[in-house]
Amino acid sequence: MSLNTVNSSTQNAAKGMKEKDVKVVSKRQTVTKVLVQIGLYFFLTIVAIAVIFPFYWMLISSVKTVDEYNLYNPTLWPTEFVWGNFKEAFVGELHLGQLFGNTVLVGVVSTLLSLVVTVLSAYAFARLDFKGKNFLFGAMLATMMIPGELFTVTNYITVVNWLNWKNTFAALIVPFLVSVFYIYLLRQNFMQIPNELYLAAKVDGTSDLKYLWKVMIPLASPTLISITILKMMGAWNSYIWPKLVTSDLAHKLVTVGIREYGFIQDGVTNFPAQMAAVLLVTIPLLIVFILFRKYIMRGVSRSGIKG
Amino acid sequence: MKEQEKDFVEETPAAVEGTPLTEAEQAEQDLREKRRKRNAIKARLRNLKGWVYLLPALVLLAAFTLWPIINTLRIAFLNGYNGLAEVGGATFAFGFQNFVNVVNFPDFLVCLRNTLLLTVITVPISTMLALLIAVALNSIKWLKKVYQTIFFLPYVTNAIAIGMVFNAMFGEVLINGTPLSIGIINSILGVFGIEPINWINVGSSTFNNMVVLIIYIVWNALPFKILVLLGGLQNVDKQYYDAAKVDGASRWRVFWRVTVPLLSPMITYVVITGFIGGFKEYTSVVGIFGDSMGAPAAPGSMNTMVGLIYDCIAKNNGGLAAAAALILFLIILVATIINLYVSKKKTHY
Amino acid sequence: MKKKIGALFIACAMIGTVAVGFSGCRGAAPDFEMPEGGFDINKPVTITFYHSMGANLRTSLDEHIAIFEQMFPNITVEHTNLGDWNGVRDTIITELQGGNHPNIAYCYADHVADYNVANAVLSLNDFLADGAYNDLTVPTVLVDVETAEYVDEEGNPSDEAVTVERPIAFTQEEQDMYNPIYFEEGYEFGDGSKMYTLPWAKSTEVIFYNKTFFDEHELTPPTTWDEMEALCARIKEIDTNSAHVPFGYDSEENWFITMCEQQGSPYTSATGDKFLFDNAENKAFVTRFKEWQDKKYFTTSTLASTGTNTVYTSNLLLDGTLYMSIGSTGGTSYNQNLSEDKVPFQVGIAPVPQIDPAHPKMISQGPSVCIFKDEDPQKVLASWLFVKFMTTNPLYQTEVAMSNGYMPVLKQEIMNEFPTYSNWVQKANGSTYLTAQAVQVGMAHESDYFVSPAFHGSSDARDQVGKIMQQVFGNTKTVDQAFKDALDYLRAQFSA
Repeated sequence: MSLNTVNSSTQNAAKGMKEKDVKVVSKRQTVTKVLVQIGLYFFLTIVAIAVIFPFYWMLISSVKTVDEYNLYNPTLWPTEFVWGNFKEAFVGELHLGQLFGNTVLVGVVSTLLSLVVTVLSAYAFARLDFKGKNFLFGAMLATMMIPGELFTVTNYITVVNWLNWKNTFAALIVPFLVSVFYIYLLRQNFMQIPNELYLAAKVDGTSDLKYLWKVMIPLASPTLISITILKMMGAWNSYIWPKLVTSDLAHKLVTVGIREYGFIQDGVTNFPAQMAAVLLVTIPLLIVFILFRKYIMRGVSRSGIKG
Repeated sequence: MKEQEKDFVEETPAAVEGTPLTEAEQAEQDLREKRRKRNAIKARLRNLKGWVYLLPALVLLAAFTLWPIINTLRIAFLNGYNGLAEVGGATFAFGFQNFVNVVNFPDFLVCLRNTLLLTVITVPISTMLALLIAVALNSIKWLKKVYQTIFFLPYVTNAIAIGMVFNAMFGEVLINGTPLSIGIINSILGVFGIEPINWINVGSSTFNNMVVLIIYIVWNALPFKILVLLGGLQNVDKQYYDAAKVDGASRWRVFWRVTVPLLSPMITYVVITGFIGGFKEYTSVVGIFGDSMGAPAAPGSMNTMVGLIYDCIAKNNGGLAAAAALILFLIILVATIINLYVSKKKTHY
Repeated sequence: MKKKIGALFIACAMIGTVAVGFSGCRGAAPDFEMPEGGFDINKPVTITFYHSMGANLRTSLDEHIAIFEQMFPNITVEHTNLGDWNGVRDTIITELQGGNHPNIAYCYADHVADYNVANAVLSLNDFLADGAYNDLTVPTVLVDVETAEYVDEEGNPSDEAVTVERPIAFTQEEQDMYNPIYFEEGYEFGDGSKMYTLPWAKSTEVIFYNKTFFDEHELTPPTTWDEMEALCARIKEIDTNSAHVPFGYDSEENWFITMCEQQGSPYTSATGDKFLFDNAENKAFVTRFKEWQDKKYFTTSTLASTGTNTVYTSNLLLDGTLYMSIGSTGGTSYNQNLSEDKVPFQVGIAPVPQIDPAHPKMISQGPSVCIFKDEDPQKVLASWLFVKFMTTNPLYQTEVAMSNGYMPVLKQEIMNEFPTYSNWVQKANGSTYLTAQAVQVGMAHESDYFVSPAFHGSSDARDQVGKIMQQVFGNTKTVDQAFKDALDYLRAQFSA
C-alpha cells in the first residue's frame, strides 16, 4: 500500500466520522477494538507458547523414563513419572550440590563488588566534571567492541602466573568486576535524573556520596537490579574462563560441570537424565527471577524517567 | 564578573592612597583570598574526585583489559607467535604473516560466513519481533504481567543448558542411523504432514543446522530487546498517540509514523548491541552442538569467529588467535560505525 | 559520536605504540642440575600429577601413593584427573605458559612434542642405569608394598621405620624389569638419543565381538579387511534390521593411522615435509570405507552419537545393535556383558583386521608419563622417585591390568610372580574375565606394535585425519575436499 492511499483512506475515515452518527461510530470502534484485542492476544499467546515450550519440554522430559522419551513420536505428557533422574544429578559423579555452592558464592560476591565499582564509575561519568572525561568514556566504550576472547590468553597468564590464583575463587571473580557495558547502562540512567536535583542538593550542601546514596541509587535501582541479575547470570553461565582457571571440584562452576558430564546409557544419550540436570541448573535462575520480577518490571517502566 | 569589578573599584582607593588597611578591611581581604584559594583547590579536587571515583574501575581495566589489548597487538604482529615457544626462548620476527595465515585457513571463510549470516539474520528478526511484541504488550491490559513474565523467561537462563534442551527438541534419537525417536519438533511438524527433518543429527545439512541455531539465538535475544523497547514505549508521551487518534490515523500508520520514530533511540540501542552480540556468538553453538561446533561428522561446520579464536588458543597458536581477534574487532568496528551512521540519519529525538 | 570514534582511534594508536616497543620476558624452567648432596629428604616437597584415570583406577593409585609417601615422608603427591587426554594436554599447554605446570603428567609422545616447544620436559638419560647419577643414593624408608607396613632389610615386619640408602637412578635390575618394547618407546620423540617418557600402562586396539552370535552362525572374526568386507555382507544377510550394523570403530583417528601403517602409505614424518597423508593410497581406503558405510557395514562413535555426547561402540555392542566393536583394550571393562537383564551373550576378543596378515600392524597406545623441569630441583627428584616407584611396581601394574585390561609394562615373568594376576590371566574367557582375555590378546601381538612419528603438530595431524573420516562418512565433504582442507589447516597452523 502506498503512502497516498493510506492518506486518502484515513482522510475519508476522518470525513466519515464527522458525517455519521456518533453512536454508530463508537460501536464500530468497539468492534474493531475487540477484534484488534483478540488479534493481539492470539499473537501474544502463540509467541508465549513458543517461548515457554523449551522450558516445558525440559520439565516433562526430566520426569520421563528413557524408554518413554525415546518413543518414535514423543509424548507431550509423561505416562509415568520417575524422579530418579534428579537423584542421579546429586548423588552421581556430577556433584551438582557442590557445583551449585561454588557458583552461588562466586555469583554473589562478584555481583556485590561489581555493583560498587559500577555505581562509582557511572556516577563519575554522569555527574562529575573532570579533565579527560569524554575521552576516557569514549575509550572505555570502544573496548566494548573488542571480543572478550582477545583477552583470554593474556588474562590467563596474569591470573595464574603473576597472581597465582589457579583454583581460587578470586580467579573467577576479579577479572570480571568491571563491565563497561554496565557502567554505560547505569550512566545513561543517571543522566536521565534531572540535573536540577543535583544542583538543589549542592545548594543544600549535600556531599556527592550522600547524594549518590540517597538520590541517585534509589532512582536508578531498577537499572541496578537489572545489572545484578545480569551479573548473577554471568556467573551462572560462564563457561570458558572457569574451565581454564579451575580444575578441582571445590571451585568448578555449574555450566562447566553439566557440559562435561556424559549422559550415555545403553548406547544412546540418556536425555531424561540430561534434562533433569539442566532443569536443576535452570531453576535457581527462575527462582531469582520470580523473586525480583516486580523490581524488574518496575525497572522497565522507570528506566526512562521523565524530566 | 560585574560584581568583581565593582569590588575592585571600591577597594582601590584605599590601596592607592597607601593608607593602612583597617582590621575589617584586612579580614575581608584575607577571606577573599582564602575563598579564591579554596575555589581553586575545590576545582582541582573536583577534577581529582572524578578520577578517585573511577579508580577501582581503572585499575581493573588496566590489568584485565588494557594490558591484554597491548599484549594481543604485540603477538598478532609477531610471525608465528606461539606462547610455548616464547617460554622456550624462541623469538619472532615482526610482520603480517599471522593475518595471511588466518585468512588462508580453510575454516576462516566458514567461520566468517556463519558469523555474518547469524548476525545479519537474527538481529532484524529478533528486533522486529521484539518490537511487535512490545507494542502488543503495550496495548493490552488483561494478563499483561503474565505475558511480560513469560517473555522475560529466556533472559534468565543458562545459554549452554538451554542449548542442550534445543538439541533435545530438534534432535532425533538414533541407533546406528535409524531413528528410535524423531524428536518432539519433528513430531509436531508431522501433525502438519511434514516428514521428519534431520535438523542436527549425523548427515544434517548446514542449512538445517543454521535454522536451529537462528531459532535458538532469536529465542534467546528476544527478552532483552522486549525489555528495552517496552521500557521505551511506556515512556512515550500519550499526547503523541492522542494527537494521532484525533487525526484518525490507522494503527499501522501510528506504528510506523509515531511509535517507531519515538522508539528509534531504543531501536538503535538494541540493534547495535544485537550486532555486537551476534558477532561474538559462541556459547549458543556450544550449547546445541557441543565443543565440536557442528553436527556429528561435520565438526566445525557451525563454527564462528569466536570459535576460531578459541581453536587457535587451544592449539597454542597465540599469533593466529590474536590476528583472528583483531580481524573480528575490525568487523565489529565497521558494523558499529555503519549502524551509528545509519541510525543518525534515521533517528528522531 | 565522532568524538568517541576519534578517542577510539587515539587509544588504538597509543596502544599500538606501546605494543611495538614491548617484548616478552618470561623464561623457561631451567635445565635440571643435580643439587649438591642429591635429594634432601628433610625438606617437605609437594609434587603434582595430572592424569585421566577414572574412578575405577583411583583407589589403587591412592593406595600406592600412600605407600610412596611412607617411603619418603616429606614428599606429598597430589594428583588430578583432567577427564581425558585432550584435557591433560590442553591444560598443561596453557599452564606451561603460566609457569605453573604439574611435575608429572600422563602423556603420549605427541604431547611431549608439544610441551618441548617450550623445552619443558625433563630428559631421563642421566637417571638411567648407565647415566650420570648412578652413584648417588637417597635415604629410603623400607615399606612392604603389599601390606603397606614397615619392614627391615630382610623384609620382615618392623615396628619402626628402617631407613636405608637406595640409588636415585635406575639400577640395571630395575631397568631390566620393563618390557623392552615399551621401554624403548620413551625415545620416540626427537632424534632418538633422549628418553623423555616411561611407560605407565599399555593398550592396543582389538575387536570385541558377540561370540554367541558368531558361534551360532558359524562365523569367525576377520583377520583381514577383505574378510571383514565379506563378513559384513554375510551379517547383513543374517540380520536384516537396518538399525543393526556389523561393526563399529571407536576412533576414526586410529583407524586412519592404522590403515596407513598396514598398507605402508605415508602418514606423517618428523623430518622434512611433515604432513604426508594427502595421497592416492589413503584416499583409496577412505573411499572404500565410504562405500561400506553406504551399505551400513559399520558405524563409528561419531556417526553413532546422539545429542552432543560421544557414544562408544562398546555401548552398542552390549546393546545388541552391533556385532563387533573395535576399540582400545584399555576400555575392555566397558565391553563386559555383566548385567543380567541384558540379552546374554559371550564376548570374544580378536586382533584388528590386517591388510597383510603376514606382517600385522597394531597401534600402540596407553599412557606413558613424563616429568617436567622445575625451578626447584627437589621437585624434579621427588617426581623421578615417584615415577620410578610406580612404573617398576609390579603390584600396581597387576591392579591396573586387572581393573581395566591394560597390559602391564613390566616383563611377563615378573608379573607372573603374583599368583592373583597369573591365575587371573589364565581364566581369560568371554564373560567376567574379559579384561584378562584382552591382556592375553594384546600381549600375544607385542612385536606387531607401531607408533607414529611425534613432532610439534603430530597430535593435530591425528585430529585432522580423524576429521577426514568423519566428514566423508557424514557426507559433509567429498574425499578430495576433506583431504585438502585437513592439509590446508595443518599448513596454516604449523607453517612457521
